[in-house]
Amino acid sequence: MPNKVFVLGAGSTRYGRLNEGIIEIAMNASTDAIESAGIRPKDIEAGYISNVFGVSDRQVHMAPVIMSNLGIPEVPGLSIESACGSGSIMFREAFANVAAGFYDCVLATGVEKITHTGTIQSTTLFSYCSDFFYEGGNGASFPGLFASIARAYMARYKANEEDLARVAVKNHENGMLNPKSHVRKKITVDDVLQSPVVASPLKLYDCCPFSDGASAVILCSADFAKKSGRPLVEVVGSGRGASPAAVQGREDITTIPSSVAAANQAYKMAGVTPKDIDFAEVHDCFTIAEIIDIEDLGFFKKGEGAYAVREGATSRSGEIPINPSGGLKSKGHPIGATGIGQVVEVFEQFTGKADGRVIKDAELALTHNFGATGASSAVHIFKKVN
Amino acid sequence: MSKTEVHDSSPREKFIASARKQKILSNKCIVCGHLMLTTVYYCENCYNRKFQSVELEGRGRVITYTIQAVAPEGFDDAGSYAWVVFLVDGTNFKVSGFLPGIASSSDLPLGSSVRVVDYNQKHGLILKKI
Repeated sequence: MPNKVFVLGAGSTRYGRLNEGIIEIAMNASTDAIESAGIRPKDIEAGYISNVFGVSDRQVHMAPVIMSNLGIPEVPGLSIESACGSGSIMFREAFANVAAGFYDCVLATGVEKITHTGTIQSTTLFSYCSDFFYEGGNGASFPGLFASIARAYMARYKANEEDLARVAVKNHENGMLNPKSHVRKKITVDDVLQSPVVASPLKLYDCCPFSDGASAVILCSADFAKKSGRPLVEVVGSGRGASPAAVQGREDITTIPSSVAAANQAYKMAGVTPKDIDFAEVHDCFTIAEIIDIEDLGFFKKGEGAYAVREGATSRSGEIPINPSGGLKSKGHPIGATGIGQVVEVFEQFTGKADGRVIKDAELALTHNFGATGASSAVHIFKKVN
Repeated sequence: MSKTEVHDSSPREKFIASARKQKILSNKCIVCGHLMLTTVYYCENCYNRKFQSVELEGRGRVITYTIQAVAPEGFDDAGSYAWVVFLVDGTNFKVSGFLPGIASSSDLPLGSSVRVVDYNQKHGLILKKI
C-alpha cells in the first residue's frame, strides 16, 4: 500500500480573462497555496506544473521558471501536458511521488492563459488536442466533437436539448456562489436553448468558456502533516484511465472508457463505492459531458444521467451534488489548471473555506477530469480529516 | 474489397492516397485476420505487425455528426458543413470526415449513407451523401 498523502494547503486565482502574464498567474496561485499550508518555499522538495498553451504566452518549460521565481531554483520541477486533463493527471504524478516516499512536501500548480488569443484561434488551438488527422483536420472543433457525442447519446437514450440545458442552469446557479467563477450569471433553460448554436446540437451556453487562471495545492506525507497541525484533506483514492484518442475509435460513443477505468481504480483504492461519495467535481466542459460523467462514475445507471439532472438529483441539495463550485461551465476552464481547481474546491469545502456553497455534512468527495474527449482521465477521492 | 500493394510511404500517406481514389485503406492482420485502419501500427487484437493491405470501398453509414456553426481556422470559408463519424461498410471500424453542404439535421438523418470522394490538405477526408 502507498504511504498516506494529504492536501495541506490550496490556492486559486479568479478564473476568467486575466491581465497578468502566465508566470504571474501561476505565481499568484502558488503563493496562495504556500500561505494556506503555512509552509515556506524551502519546505518544497519538488514542483509539478501543468499547462497546455504556454507557447501562446511565450513560455514553455514552465516548472523551472516557477521554482526560480519562488526562490528555490535548486528544487526539481516537472512540466506536464495532457490537454484539458493536465491538472488532474499532474496531480496524480505529484500524489504518486509523495505516496512512494520520494518526497514529503510538493507543490502542484496548474495554469493557463488563452483568452488573449481570441475565440477563433483558441478554438483552433484546442482542436490540436484532438486526434488531429481524423478530427481537427477534418473540421471538428471541440464543441463539434462533444456535439457528435451528444447527438449519439440523445438518439440512443431519448434525451433532449432541455436535458442538456438543465446541466448549464444548475452549474450557473452553483457558480453564482463562487466568487472566483468566470461566468457568474444566472441563466434559464430558455436562455440556453435560445443561445447561438456553436456546433449542433450544442449552443453557446452548453459550452464552458475559454478561461485564464491558476490553481495550486501543497501535498505532503503523514509525518509532514502531523508536524503542521493544520486542517487537512486526505487523498484516499487515485485512478488513471485511457480511451482511444479519436471518437471514431470508441466502440460506444456514449461512454468514456477512461473515466470508467479511473473511477473503478479510485473506488477500489479508497475502499468505497459511488454511494459513499457526498459530492463530486466532474469534467463538464460541455453539458453532455456531465451527463455522461455521472453515469461513467457510477452515480447513475447508463442512460439515466439526463433523467437524474431533470429530477434535480445533482443539485446542491440533491442525492449527489455535482459541481458545487460551478464546474467548468460556470467557474471556468483554464485547461492546465482545471483539475487542480477541483482539488482546491474539495479543500475549501472540507476546511471551512467554501463560504455560501458548503455541502453540509460532506466527508468524502470525488474529482474527475479528462483530456480531450476523454482520451486520458484521472479520478481522485478525498476524505475530510476531522 | 481489393488487395493492393503500397510501398515507401507512411501509413497516413497511404491512407490519403487511397482516399483520393475514393477508398479506405485498411490492414488485415496475417495472424488473426483482424481488420483495422491502416494508420494503426500493431494489430489491435494480437499485436502482430504484419498485415495485408486491403482497400475498402469508401462507403458507410452515419453513426453521429455535428454541424459546425463556429468553424476552426481553415474551415471558415467552407460554408455549412458536417463533421461526420461513419461505420465503414463491411467492417467494425469507424472513420470521420468532412461533409460539405449540410445545413440542418433534416439534411442528414442518422444512418444515412456517405462515401469518400477525395482527400485534400485543406479540409481532410471529403465525403458526399449518397
